[in-house]
Amino acid sequence: MAIDMNVFRGFAEQIKMLPQMAQPTDCPDGERVSRAKAVFREKLDRSKATYLESCVHCGLCAEACQFYIQTEDPKLTPIHKLDLLTRFYRREMAPMRFVYRLFEPDITAEDLEETQHLVYDSCTECGRCGVACPMGIDIASMVNVTRQGLAEAGLIPAGLRAVEQEQGSRGTVFGVGPEQLRGAVEALRAKGLDVPIDKDKADILVLSSTIDILLFKDVFEATVKVMNHLGVDWTIHSCAFEGANFGMLSGYEEVQRSASERITSQAIQLGAKVVIVPECGHAYPALRWEGANEHGEPLPFEVMAISEFLGREVAEGRLHLEPIGRKKHVTYHDPCKVGRHGGVFKEPRAVLDALDLRRTEMPKNRLNNFCCGGGAGLFVMEGATEMRNAAFDLKRMQVEETGAESIVTACGSCRVNLMAGADRTQWPMPVESLVELVGSHLKKPAD
Amino acid sequence: MGFGDFVDGPFWYFSLAVFVVGVSWRLYGMLSLASHVDLSAARGSAATGALKANLVRFFPRSALGKLLRLPVVAGYLFHVGLFALLFFAAPHVDFYRERITGFGWSAMPTWAFILASEAAFLGLMLLVLHRMMHPVTRTISRRGDYIGSWLIFIVMLTGCLALARTYEPLRILHFFTAELLLIYFPFSSLMHTFSFPFSRGFNGAHYGRRGVPA
Repeated sequence: MAIDMNVFRGFAEQIKMLPQMAQPTDCPDGERVSRAKAVFREKLDRSKATYLESCVHCGLCAEACQFYIQTEDPKLTPIHKLDLLTRFYRREMAPMRFVYRLFEPDITAEDLEETQHLVYDSCTECGRCGVACPMGIDIASMVNVTRQGLAEAGLIPAGLRAVEQEQGSRGTVFGVGPEQLRGAVEALRAKGLDVPIDKDKADILVLSSTIDILLFKDVFEATVKVMNHLGVDWTIHSCAFEGANFGMLSGYEEVQRSASERITSQAIQLGAKVVIVPECGHAYPALRWEGANEHGEPLPFEVMAISEFLGREVAEGRLHLEPIGRKKHVTYHDPCKVGRHGGVFKEPRAVLDALDLRRTEMPKNRLNNFCCGGGAGLFVMEGATEMRNAAFDLKRMQVEETGAESIVTACGSCRVNLMAGADRTQWPMPVESLVELVGSHLKKPAD
Repeated sequence: MGFGDFVDGPFWYFSLAVFVVGVSWRLYGMLSLASHVDLSAARGSAATGALKANLVRFFPRSALGKLLRLPVVAGYLFHVGLFALLFFAAPHVDFYRERITGFGWSAMPTWAFILASEAAFLGLMLLVLHRMMHPVTRTISRRGDYIGSWLIFIVMLTGCLALARTYEPLRILHFFTAELLLIYFPFSSLMHTFSFPFSRGFNGAHYGRRGVPA
């Protein structure tokens, strides 16, 4: 199903209005600094301390960063983005702090503000630098710690802050809540689809996301078709359907925990064995890798990205697909948070192969894949436009080298960013959803 | 007590003590911090990931950037050369046997010493030049990175000068600069010599339990 580009552009315009909706977070400078420091102290554990102790400043991480590659601005070197955190660590936590304090200036409110651009607008936490580092320094995880410190200090960029505040206070994202979900469900029922919503018990809890309810309605519809086709006991729940977690993206842990716990408690109440995360990159680590930590104990259910779930169903012979044919030539874009941060590489490719289409990998793929440029909330940050565009240009070159006529991905944010870039540069390249491809090529039972 | 006796005696024991206590303290300090327990269900083996990372990260990931970049090649030259000199140069083997281990091992022949020296010098000089001239390394380098590099350079230079072992003051000068390096070591980024297996291990374990082939 083609996306109405006017609707898409309207959505993009709405995003531009976000900063005006953000509530101010006034705070004295000293208070900002002490709040940030408290977070840094709590979050810098054994592994992160070891990372900070091991850097030799070789600069190889720059070669891995899409933003450095595109701009050649040395300030965008990934390890440089940790300068604030490193200074805090060396002065206040390092074993040799009694010496370092003599040379290392204390961090100030101005330092926090200067770091905002580096860790929000100029980093998608894609993790490519951490894969390249010869010392094995996981830079992305510490960019996230820096974000958490800045968030506590009230320094989340306005666009991202607006959505985080909305999700934290009302539980909705872009105004999408239970009512809008029910509206989307009714629209599908009007098409003759059975949509089991708000069941008391179910084996599988399926999540969705605002982007799929508002914009990529084809994905929501396809998800329903696939689940019904598989004949499993599933439901979507109006109290816990939103997979997106703007607490995680902004670094504000209180909102991250509440958004995550809403899903976890609902899944437990349902007796769900599996929770399926929609095509939303960061929603996967938010629940799959951080959900249990926010909950305080292991989750009594399995968390799967929908691309991972589809791959498993194909591999185990339960999901049968109509072949599309080799005339369709696609390339697959790995969402960083699902691939490099989650290990889901082979499953979406298994699905594409089951569709029997022609698939060509980009020169940098799987673990080495370049981010779309909009990850970690950059797609709603007003100050990140230049960076997003630069990253898109790099991605476009990668796609063009494949000769593919379509990009397939399994992340709504990636899709938004790639479509926005294609629209901006008038690049006639469709950006398709993996689930939507599956939903429109389900083998009929009679076959 | 003359300067030579001081360098050979008290200052040697002092520098060795600073090195051992400093390195141990720094390792203890970072490894004794709390470790956040990950409650998520693992997808793969953390132990295998840690082991794998410790091996594969010796090699640059060519798929990420340009292969054979200057700092990579220079890094190999320097580290391999320095390792060979440190543990297989004949005077060093004698030193370890007499002052530390009580036993020795085969030293490398002179031609290998010359080769190792050239590799180490060339590698180090290229690394320092790269650090000073490339915008990225110039931006991210700290004063300590330069101090460490120059100290090593001076130690290697005095070591080569003292090679003939016929002029005692040069041996003492080399030993003195090596002692200064031992004192500086635990406070500097040279500490990566001991911390890298841990940082690679933590990162590898992280990816390993997530089933990411990093």
